[in-house]
Amino acid sequence: MPPRIPLGLAAQCCRASIEQPRSSSLVGLFNALSIQSRSASILANLSDNPGAYQKRIRVGRGPSSGKGKTSGRGHKGQKQHGKVRPWFQGGQTPLVVQRGKLGFVNMLAPVMSEVNLNKLQDWIDAGRIDPTKQITPKELVESNLVGTIKDGIKLLARGADALKQPIDIVVSRASAAAIEAVEKAGGKIMTRYYTKKAIKRLVEGKSVHTVTPLPTGPDHAQPVLEELRQKGFSYRLPDPTGRWDIEYYRDPAHRGYLSHTLKPGESPSLYFKVPPAKILKQEKKQKGTTQEDTKLWDKL
Amino acid sequence: MASKGVRCLNEAFKGLSLSSQTCREAVSHRIPSSTITRSMATEAPLPKITTSVDADSLWRPASTVPLTIFNFPSFEPQRLESWSAKHLQLPLRRDILHLAVVYEGDNTRQGTASTKTRWEVAGSHRKMRPQKGTGRARLGSRQSPMLRGGGKVFGPKPRDFGTKLPRKVYDLAWRTALSYRYRRGELIVCQDGMELPLPAEFADLVAAGALQDELQRSFKAKWVRQVLDANDWGRRSGRSTFITTSPRDNLFEALEEVPNYGRALEIDDVDVKNLLETGRLIVEREALKELIESHQSDLVARVFVTNPALPRAPESGKVLVE
Repeated sequence: MPPRIPLGLAAQCCRASIEQPRSSSLVGLFNALSIQSRSASILANLSDNPGAYQKRIRVGRGPSSGKGKTSGRGHKGQKQHGKVRPWFQGGQTPLVVQRGKLGFVNMLAPVMSEVNLNKLQDWIDAGRIDPTKQITPKELVESNLVGTIKDGIKLLARGADALKQPIDIVVSRASAAAIEAVEKAGGKIMTRYYTKKAIKRLVEGKSVHTVTPLPTGPDHAQPVLEELRQKGFSYRLPDPTGRWDIEYYRDPAHRGYLSHTLKPGESPSLYFKVPPAKILKQEKKQKGTTQEDTKLWDKL
Repeated sequence: MASKGVRCLNEAFKGLSLSSQTCREAVSHRIPSSTITRSMATEAPLPKITTSVDADSLWRPASTVPLTIFNFPSFEPQRLESWSAKHLQLPLRRDILHLAVVYEGDNTRQGTASTKTRWEVAGSHRKMRPQKGTGRARLGSRQSPMLRGGGKVFGPKPRDFGTKLPRKVYDLAWRTALSYRYRRGELIVCQDGMELPLPAEFADLVAAGALQDELQRSFKAKWVRQVLDANDWGRRSGRSTFITTSPRDNLFEALEEVPNYGRALEIDDVDVKNLLETGRLIVEREALKELIESHQSDLVARVFVTNPALPRAPESGKVLVE
């Protein structure tokens, strides 16, 4: 036994740890005595727990095994000799052949990672997300609330009542119920356009998060360029180019980050316009008058 | 028969309830069964049954264990440190050690055994002799596995025998092995820079070129043998494994000469099996720390936590007594 620092001294430092487990069995006594004896390695006495392995069934090895004659495959036929393909319907023309396939899978549709409010609250409670700061996709991914980075993050309202504190959150999309729940708790929510690459760059620290869209037009480009030259290059966050996306983020109902570009009374839709109230009334009147004035059969 | 059985049972019950009978009699004497007219003030007070448990008597597992740091090779205690019980005081799990040792064994298998089938054995595939008329057995090609020099049926082919083990299980096995050694007093931790010092005269002679290689090696062997025997670490007491962070020339060369006294390993070469093999481990403090820190994935959460007050990896190596 190697010399040690006196027990009393050690005991002062960690009282509890010095205490040996009181074992009444002979094992402890034997261990204490066996210090000077020849050491036997524990390697010979290692084994897995009983029941950790199941013994392999040896098929076709005699009747006493219970799997001897037919090896558990029954008598005759395809099932004994080969295999029947899965979902084989016994020779009936399969339904998918009879009726064909319905619908299609849109391979181009963006796939969103879903975040529910109860999960978000759990993460906040566990200290994995700081609710006092703005919660962006970077925070959501870094805290592992979002496992894989997809085309965006959508906030959903499961456990909407669970939300305790106001939060300031920016995500790709949000359900109407989720928006309502966040704002009911006194928080702020904004939806912003992201792509998969953009979220990856945010997590890697290659770009800076912002909710202001890029300025458009040649007269705006110069100040931005100058700012970039001073700061050094970083990837900018993209803005939507597709019609559907632009309309989504222009919509104040979605708390879109482009909704401030809407003029009062302007529709978020790029195609349909909101009919002004005045015109509606005039049209009604005109309709009334014209119906009285012009009659087809009068002119004829 | 039945009456006899009942009698036996009765006797047995009487024997069991000897002590309780007296109590019952006493009570029946004191309280007449007809009417209770007075209060029970005269009755003896029942012993108070306290349900609260003394807080000191509760078993609390120690969160730290003491670890002595020694000098090498004089083997004087230098320091007392406190290490986490999650590092050096884990319960012995033979199943986990078994899994780890088997996993290492599987992954160290070369798997390069290779034989040739009848299609790979070189040579002509001409029919050896006519099918009929020779009075001898039918034979086809010379590579037939039945023949000498023919191919091997179902012979070994190079393959990977490697198996997988969850990282957290493997890391637990590392610390379980170290804990097992610690509990048995077979984990000897030495100061950083552990090296076998050789006498100055020897260095002078080597510098003068008076010692040939053979002589140098035999001297080192004798020297390390003496050091190990003096501490009861040698062949008689089941060899020793030295673990260092980087190669130490004297120690490693000397121990290579006397393999039945012990072996020296760098930390990169250490496996769980090495920790369990010899009589004791003699580890550099830095090496032990590195071994533990690189094998505590089951203790360290991989989650990104903003709150600094939340628990982190257990701390080890706090100096208690210098």
